[in-house]
Amino acid sequence: MTELGAQTKKFQKELNSGTSSLILLSVLSRSKEPMYGYQIAKLLEESGPDIPMMKQGTLYPVLRSLEENSLLESTVEPSVSGPPRRYYKITKDGRAALEEWLEIWKQTKKFVDANLKG
Amino acid sequence: MFNSVEEYLDALQDEMKDADPALAQDAQADAREHLSLALDAAREKAPDGSEADALKSIVEEYGTPEETASAYREIERRTSPSLKRDSKPKSIWGRVFGVYVDPRTWGSLLFMFITFVTGIIYFTWAVTGTMLSLSLMILIIGAPFAILFLLSVQGLALLEGRLVEALLGVRMPRRPLFAQPGLTWGERLKALINDKHTWLSLLYFILQMPLGVLYFSLMVTLILFSLGVIIIPIGQWVFRFPTYQINSVGYYLPVWSLLLIQLGGFLLLTLTMHLARGIGWLHGRYAKALLVS
Repeated sequence: MTELGAQTKKFQKELNSGTSSLILLSVLSRSKEPMYGYQIAKLLEESGPDIPMMKQGTLYPVLRSLEENSLLESTVEPSVSGPPRRYYKITKDGRAALEEWLEIWKQTKKFVDANLKG
Repeated sequence: MFNSVEEYLDALQDEMKDADPALAQDAQADAREHLSLALDAAREKAPDGSEADALKSIVEEYGTPEETASAYREIERRTSPSLKRDSKPKSIWGRVFGVYVDPRTWGSLLFMFITFVTGIIYFTWAVTGTMLSLSLMILIIGAPFAILFLLSVQGLALLEGRLVEALLGVRMPRRPLFAQPGLTWGERLKALINDKHTWLSLLYFILQMPLGVLYFSLMVTLILFSLGVIIIPIGQWVFRFPTYQINSVGYYLPVWSLLLIQLGGFLLLTLTMHLARGIGWLHGRYAKALLVS
């Protein structure tokens, strides 16, 4: 990998590290049913742009850390075939956080856009 | 390039060997869940495709073991530095006598006793099957019989793997190998014969019988002897049973030695437990080397 490629990758990773929490909270807040990781990954893949923004594997640690901070809660359910699945659901704290985060996101977007235009 | 989910998980475990074991376990569970589901979906879409090809594109989306491991480490670093548990080194007492409460010890013991029975079954199956396959080769049913037998060996290997994982705690494959569809009998037999996995499993099954007998007699002897040494002084002290008796003359141990002898018995039992756990550990490595290659 070239030096520039590595820098770009790092930049993408740093951007993702903030937005993935926001996206996951938002997806789970819109879903009526609890969802498991693979479901979420598929949903993001369908709605997302052609270029995959983040590796699906990076979603799982984010889900776990959101749960650790009690913004999400999860239950493990056995499945007929294959390993058990962990279903995630947004909590009350999670919804409150999402509202604040959305506000921050809007401001950030405005700020970045305004500065990029020059 | 990964041929199975297990291989990916192994690589991921390798990447995370310095990380907190609980974090590594989480990563394993997540990856197993995701990759199995994705693989099932890929199989449904293209039932004829190979597992390796399907996994290649799945891993491309999921991330390589390095990427996944670094994602978990990064999040862990960011979210909970204060919650980090430091694993305290155990005291010498804990290390010596903790063996009694270590589930691995009891798992190993149980495994060794079970091996006594399964070893005989495996041995009989392996020897009978090999002999019959060889002698039937001159007949038309020789090849189908050999294929069925070798397939049964792979099935048994999977089963033994589950047993090893449950009792010895070594991760073994959870699913059978992906068989290539659309092969003729001859090609299938050739594939089975060229697979070194088949022969190593067969070797494992034949060796299970002597090993089972060895494990069983070793453990029964050591455990019963230690327990005997612990109990004899109690018999003498409480019930006045002589330690041994020759021509109706009972011999007794000196009173001062009774506690010492009991202590010796207890130490021997502790050593036996360590031995059991050690053998279990070794057998797990050995089973992985022969059954999963």
